Amino acid sequence: MKETIIEKVKDLFEDSRIEAFLGLKEENGQIGPYLFTDPKDLEGFSLGDKEWPGDKRYPLSKILIALAQKYPENRFGILVRGCDERALNELFKWNQLNEEHVVMVGFPCPQELAEACECPKPYPESLVVGEKVKGIKSKKVEVILNMGMEGRLKYWTERFSRCIKCYGCRNVCPVCFCNECELANDDLIPSGEIPPENPIFHLVRAAHMAGRCIDCGLCEEACPVGIPLRTLYKKVADIVDSEFGYRPGYQKDQKSPFNILGERPED
Amino acid sequence: MTAKRIRFLKEFLSFSGIEPDRLRLEWVSSAEATRFVEVITDFIDQVKELGPSPLKAALAAQDLN
Ligand code: SF4
Ligand code: SF4
Repeated sequence: MKETIIEKVKDLFEDSRIEAFLGLKEENGQIGPYLFTDPKDLEGFSLGDKEWPGDKRYPLSKILIALAQKYPENRFGILVRGCDERALNELFKWNQLNEEHVVMVGFPCPQELAEACECPKPYPESLVVGEKVKGIKSKKVEVILNMGMEGRLKYWTERFSRCIKCYGCRNVCPVCFCNECELANDDLIPSGEIPPENPIFHLVRAAHMAGRCIDCGLCEEACPVGIPLRTLYKKVADIVDSEFGYRPGYQKDQKSPFNILGERPED
Repeated sequence: MTAKRIRFLKEFLSFSGIEPDRLRLEWVSSAEATRFVEVITDFIDQVKELGPSPLKAALAAQDLN
C-alpha cells in the first residue's frame, strides 16, 4: 500500500501537479507530519501506523490551512484517509482552502480501525490504492440513549467534570478554524476555572460542531482525561442529518445548513 | 430554519440528559399582548411542573466524589 502511494506522489511531483506533499514521516522512531518538497525525501514516508493501525493520525488538513495561507500560490498534495477527505471537503466549502490547489492522495483504513472509530466511511473517494472498507454504524450513541434521561445527565456531568480545559479537543480539530473562539472568551468561560462550567463548555462546543464535525475522532484521542467527545458529536451529527438532511464532509456542493439563514417561515 | 434549529436543540438537550420541555419556541408579535401573557404563563406552569433542574443535583453529586 505504502509503495503505491509513494509512486503516486512521485508522479505528482514529476508531472508538476504539486510543489509539495503533506504527509507523515518516521524519524528517530517518531511519526509526525512532514512537508515533502523533494521526492527523494519520501524515504521514511509513513501512513501513521506504529503500534496499531492509525495510531499516529494528525489533522493534516488543519496544517494545510496554515501552509496555504503562507504559500497561497502553491499547489499541495496531501495524504488522506476518509476522515481527512471529509475535513477537506468542509474546508473548501467554508473557504478555508482552495480546492484547485489541493490534490488528495487517498488510502482506506483497515477494518479494525473502522470498527474502533465506528467510522461511517473509512475510505476517501480519492482512493489511489486499496479497497473500500465497510462503514460502521455507531453503537455507543445507542448505549447512551438507553440510559434514560437521568442516567444520561449523570453520565455526561461526570465525564465533563474531569475536563482540565486544555483545549486539546479544539486545537486538534480539523474543522475548528474560527479566529475568535467563544470557548476562550473570558466573559463566557472565565479563565482559571477548572473544570470549565459543566456542562456548558462542552455543550457549547458540541453545538458549534453541528454541521461541521466530520467525525474523525481526533478530539477524543487528544483528550487527556478520556471524555467520550466523539460519541457526543456523533449524536449531534445524527440530529443535524435527520433535521436538515446534511452530513458534513460528504456532499461537495451542499453547504452547511448553519451557513445559511433559510427562507421566511410560512404563517 | 429556526424551528429546525430548536428541534435540533431539544434533541441535543435530551441526549445530554436535560428535559427538552424546558425549551420552547413561539412566535408572538408585538401586537399580541394577550397571547404573549398566555404563552409565558403556560410555559411557567410547564417549567414549574418539571421542578428544579436536575443539573444542580447532578453537579452536587460530582463534588461529593
Ligand atoms: S471528531 Fe472531533 S476533532 Fe474530528 S471533526 Fe469532529 S469535533 Fe473535530
Ligand atoms: S481535550 Fe478533554 S480535557 Fe482538554 S479541553 Fe477538551 S474535553 Fe477538556
